[in-house]
Amino acid sequence: MRAFVRRIVSSQETGLVVVLVLLTIALTLLAGSHPDRATGETINNFWNSHTLIQTATDASFFAIMAIGATVVIISGGIDLSVGSIYALAGVTMALVMRMLGPMSGTSTTLVGLVVSVGVGLLCGLLNGALVVGLRVHPFIVTLGTMWMLRGIAFVATKAESILVPSSLTAVTKAPLGLGGGLYPVPMLSMLVLTLVGTVYLARTVMGRHIFAFGGSIEASRFAGLALNRIQIGVFAVSGLTAGFAAFLGASFYGSASSGDAQGYELYVIASAVVGGASLIGGKGSALGATLGALLIVLIRQSIRTLHLDQNYEWIVIGCAIIVAVVVDQWSTRLTARRLSRATT
Amino acid sequence: MTDSAVRFEGISKFFPGVQALSDVTLDVAAGSCHALCGENGAGKSTLGKILAGIYTPDSGRLFIHGREVHFGGPRDALAAGVGMVHQELAFCDNLSVAENLCLGALPSRRGLVAHDELERRASAMLAEIDATVDVRRRLGELTIAQQQVVQIAAAVGSGARIIVFDEPTSSLSHHEASRLFDLIGRLRQRGVTCIYVSHRMPEVFQLCDTVSVLRDGKHVDTRPTAEITEADVVRMMIGRPLAEYFPMHGSSALGDEVLRVDALTCAGKFENVSLALHAGEVVGLAGLQGAGRSEVACALFGLEHVQHGAIYVRGSPAHIGGANEAIRYGISLVPEDRKRQGLVLSETAMHNTSLPTLHRFSRLSWIFRAKERRETRELFDRLRVRTPSLDAVVAGLSGGNQQKVVLAKWLAARPSILILDEPTRGVDVGAKAEIHALIGELARNGTAILVISSELPEVLTLSDRILVLRQGRLVGELSRAEANQERLLRLMAGLAQ
Repeated sequence: MRAFVRRIVSSQETGLVVVLVLLTIALTLLAGSHPDRATGETINNFWNSHTLIQTATDASFFAIMAIGATVVIISGGIDLSVGSIYALAGVTMALVMRMLGPMSGTSTTLVGLVVSVGVGLLCGLLNGALVVGLRVHPFIVTLGTMWMLRGIAFVATKAESILVPSSLTAVTKAPLGLGGGLYPVPMLSMLVLTLVGTVYLARTVMGRHIFAFGGSIEASRFAGLALNRIQIGVFAVSGLTAGFAAFLGASFYGSASSGDAQGYELYVIASAVVGGASLIGGKGSALGATLGALLIVLIRQSIRTLHLDQNYEWIVIGCAIIVAVVVDQWSTRLTARRLSRATT
Repeated sequence: MTDSAVRFEGISKFFPGVQALSDVTLDVAAGSCHALCGENGAGKSTLGKILAGIYTPDSGRLFIHGREVHFGGPRDALAAGVGMVHQELAFCDNLSVAENLCLGALPSRRGLVAHDELERRASAMLAEIDATVDVRRRLGELTIAQQQVVQIAAAVGSGARIIVFDEPTSSLSHHEASRLFDLIGRLRQRGVTCIYVSHRMPEVFQLCDTVSVLRDGKHVDTRPTAEITEADVVRMMIGRPLAEYFPMHGSSALGDEVLRVDALTCAGKFENVSLALHAGEVVGLAGLQGAGRSEVACALFGLEHVQHGAIYVRGSPAHIGGANEAIRYGISLVPEDRKRQGLVLSETAMHNTSLPTLHRFSRLSWIFRAKERRETRELFDRLRVRTPSLDAVVAGLSGGNQQKVVLAKWLAARPSILILDEPTRGVDVGAKAEIHALIGELARNGTAILVISSELPEVLTLSDRILVLRQGRLVGELSRAEANQERLLRLMAGLAQ
């Protein structure tokens, strides 16, 4: 039991949770308050259900993609094409919906989900096949597909924004009994995917193989692992999560265009890295990715809440990423030193 | 000692787990070609690297032409006139020959590299040693022999009067080697002192006028080659009373033939290798470094591309296209390089152990962790792996325990054929004895075992039968009764019996 507690306390995710909690407390104290228009009650400018769920919703699209990106990063690769996969999956879904015409709510949801996730999966498989088949570094392959996939989305939509049936928006904007303009579906999806991602990485043979591959390709080869399958698999997972995020995003906002999610790849990679994934491979977690995404969105939110100059947003986020990674490296080195002292 | 080019005085060097050199004192005469001989791990390369400034000795003094020197790095050594020709490359293989030769002082005009001047200088350096290499080619495109020539040109060009050759012929063809010997002869005519680190007797006797023998990090003797024979040197290299090593396990009745290899050929690595392994038998595979031992092991494990030949497992032909297929045939390989090939250092002891056998603890990719933990625990108890917990990261374990984790990992696969490549390299004495006992026990239980080791005593202790590889070919087979260190070493080095 004590070992369990120690493991939780010393884990990287705990550090992130502490930072998130402190930031939330600080924001709550500094945000000030305003009277509610309807009831006249005093409401904190940050600590209110609307702002909190809004922040979580903003984070959810990044977080879901960051979980996929983390899987790629653990394998020692990188996926720059997730933003473009999101755009292509979103517009394909919208175009298919427009083609099929009105359907019942359930079948709309089902078709939407299958199309967007399917397109994401195919794009991921394409990335993986290119990396394995051409023996080109993932950075280059996904840099290429990043332009290609967005270009396909652009051509397919003729640069128009395509509307998504309102029945689909009704699903992702379902109040689930909360009311008051609160939409918890993206947030809940994020939580479910974090759980699925955690289980996938920690409890399945595939997850174990991904860590081994990222830790040492040579040792994995000597252990008889199917290296190509693992590498294609991680890109498939990344494409899948991008496709799912596109389903959520496009239906939540009611439209899809080839310009969606531009620049998301960097937010997504930043979330994974802030969440403790190592670009060398062999290290990272789904929970970390979600917490990383939450932290980045929260920092962005704090600039709005505290009425700071919006123009400083990028500078602050940039600093936060570097600080987070440096702190992580320090703590890893400290742990390693403590470990080596314990064994000698 | 006015004619002494180099004097080592009481040199000691300790590496974690091994005393590489202890109190070595010897002189190298100016203008001579001086051989440093010894078994693998005797300390001969370490001594050469101390002279070239790559290692700093823990204690002792080093004199060059009578003046005491303290080298902080190869640069200091070069300034004092000592250059080294490395076994592996010490240059940038992405740069051109000319750039490599002038790397320390690139000629420039207005801040830009002056290419014509660069090439002129480099060609001059090569001409200095009568060598011709296209200076515009990238170093990585050259053969090992040509790269050595470039290294020699660099050393001579920067004024080296003493050059250390560290096993220079280990990856050269016969023809290339004889050209190297010509070059060394020309260097000597110009008064360059050569120090030749090798355990290949014919070369030593062809090239050198003096030979120093090291054994277990100690200086045994220095003698003119004219006064002694190759056999004398081999005897000095071995030195220990052979009675120290007795058979590990009595030769039990031989079981069925489980593995047969027929004329296996892997271009450039080994040729025409045939062997057979029986259940319950330990067969040693001896050879010098670069003789192709590990390559044969990897080929049996499906990790080398084989051109010709066939492998039969339990009598039927086996097509082994990868490690996973080898595992299915009941073959396990404990690889040579524990940290690179054997372990995922960032992972835990348990995850490393179960990696090749996860299918046994899982269904539809879902891992049953309790079962995994239980079986790993049993294996660790059996092998006496000492770790703080099953979840300890292996990077933090000692060499001996890391090696036991690798063994546990491959025993978990329940092999009927176990290939061990350097099973006790860098392992402390206690763990080594435990590993040896384990090998004996596995053989008694009917596992067919192939052991590769650079330590002859280990091969002699463990094996029922020893095969000797030299330059990729099987050159001999000795039964336990016939085998001793001297005969093995002679076969390995290519000497007449």
